[in-house]
Amino acid sequence: MSAETRTTDAAAPAPFTMVAGDPAAMVCEDDVCYIPDPR
Amino acid sequence: MHPFAYVVTSPIKIDIWSDIACPWCYIGKRHLEAGLAALGDDAPDVEIEYHSFELAPDTPVDFEGSEIDFLAKHKGLPAERVQQMLQHVTGVAANAGLDYDFDALKHTKTLKAHELLHFAKEQGLQLELSERLFRAYFTEGRHVGRIDELLELGAEVGLDADAARDALESGRYAADVQADITQAGAYGINGVPFFVFEGKYGVSGAQPAEVFTQVLTQVAEEREGAAA
Repeated sequence: MSAETRTTDAAAPAPFTMVAGDPAAMVCEDDVCYIPDPR
Repeated sequence: MHPFAYVVTSPIKIDIWSDIACPWCYIGKRHLEAGLAALGDDAPDVEIEYHSFELAPDTPVDFEGSEIDFLAKHKGLPAERVQQMLQHVTGVAANAGLDYDFDALKHTKTLKAHELLHFAKEQGLQLELSERLFRAYFTEGRHVGRIDELLELGAEVGLDADAARDALESGRYAADVQADITQAGAYGINGVPFFVFEGKYGVSGAQPAEVFTQVLTQVAEEREGAAA
């Protein structure tokens, strides 16, 4: 796990509405934890 | 009248995609709990279901070395950057009441842990096991990739050790793990933790407790409106 800012892949259609929340909230993908870019 | 004051219906469903090896998933769990607690007596009943998301399926079960070793040597990340990140995570975890110990952490593959979580779900003990595995991994340096260790941890929350061993050795929950991961992909979930409330609202990341409070309040208000 490491930290970096990266662009997330385009999300596929989902049956729910995304809550914006805090854009700095961290997520982990693979071994990397990062702040996703807002879209 | 507060939205939770008289609407008594089924619990609010919260689906969470998560990995035991995800430091922000444990922190996010605490933030969700804090968001619920902030509602006090008005907090709604919730039903939480954990779904598998294996962050690094290529991780060996028995990796000899520290978390820094794994990320620096196995993944080729700069050791200094890894150390800074771990210090940052440790600090945020401490603010959430969690005592992370990355020096003791045993980096491992989490597939069997996910399988045990599915077994525990059938036994009505998934939440208990989830908490136990997070604590074992991040604060106690336990090896959550080995079946014997998983059985010990499972027994602590009330799982039958023989039945759990059969479940893990047979691999019969591996398909359920994969189904969760496939579902995440279908939803466009690339990272964890990821929360879905009532199948209507998605929340990505270890959001502050206030965000969870707001989502829960909104769901409750919508229920109230639907019931009116």
